[in-house]
Amino acid sequence: MRHKIIIEGFAYRLRPIGDMDADFIIKLRTDAELIRFLHSTPPSLDSQLNWLAQYYTRPGDWYFVLERRSDSSSEGLISLYDFDAEQFSAEWGRWILRKDSIAAVESAWLIYRCAFDQLCLREVYCRTVAANESVVSFHDSCGITERSLLPNHFNLNGRKLDAVEHRVNHVAWKTIAPRLEHLSQRMARRLHRDT
Amino acid sequence: MNRQQIKVVVLSVLSTVLKCEVNNEASRENLAQWDSLKHIEVIFAIEDELNLQFPEEMLPNLNSVESIVDAAEGLYEA
Repeated sequence: MRHKIIIEGFAYRLRPIGDMDADFIIKLRTDAELIRFLHSTPPSLDSQLNWLAQYYTRPGDWYFVLERRSDSSSEGLISLYDFDAEQFSAEWGRWILRKDSIAAVESAWLIYRCAFDQLCLREVYCRTVAANESVVSFHDSCGITERSLLPNHFNLNGRKLDAVEHRVNHVAWKTIAPRLEHLSQRMARRLHRDT
Repeated sequence: MNRQQIKVVVLSVLSTVLKCEVNNEASRENLAQWDSLKHIEVIFAIEDELNLQFPEEMLPNLNSVESIVDAAEGLYEA
């Protein structure tokens, strides 16, 4: 949906996605290496603009571009969606970063901050293709202890694939946040020194 | 510090951070627990141990024991 949420971090920020980002979305989401475990995206600009037009009207869906604060260059995409008004929960995903990006930790920190500090959600969850071991490991490394296996959860281009679901509630977030914040801050200091 | 000494430090840091045995052939491709978060911790720990700093543009490419040792050796020689 259309929103105006901007989350500022140390080296990066989240800002609302717009039509001007369609080329960037296509660039990332048609990269065979990056989308090995994601749904495929039609490579045409018109298809992407149509998808965004539908997204703008969909409530409970917040799609962001991750950009560098120093020069506003786009580095990745990330979303919160499937908002459940009863549970006050949402899924985070559509997470994809440029291959040369080192923003994984800060982008996760920012989307959790959006979920818990901005939207005041009670719980967020992330579902990862189980075979995508390094991303499953990333969520484990964040310190998330509530995880479960969802057999045949994904249907990716006709393939049924298991998912690993990691759940974080607002209480667990308090224990996870300091480490993500510390690593994000240290990396940002490095980036500032290099520029 | 010579190449062998650098390699000992790199392997030691990787074993400690990833909490597993790591050999010369280890890379982010063949070691799932070497994820994006651990990668940052590994790089910071190696920089601290070797008292050097990898340039930002190098960071995404330090994906194996060999590439880290090569990069560190290059910085020492520079």
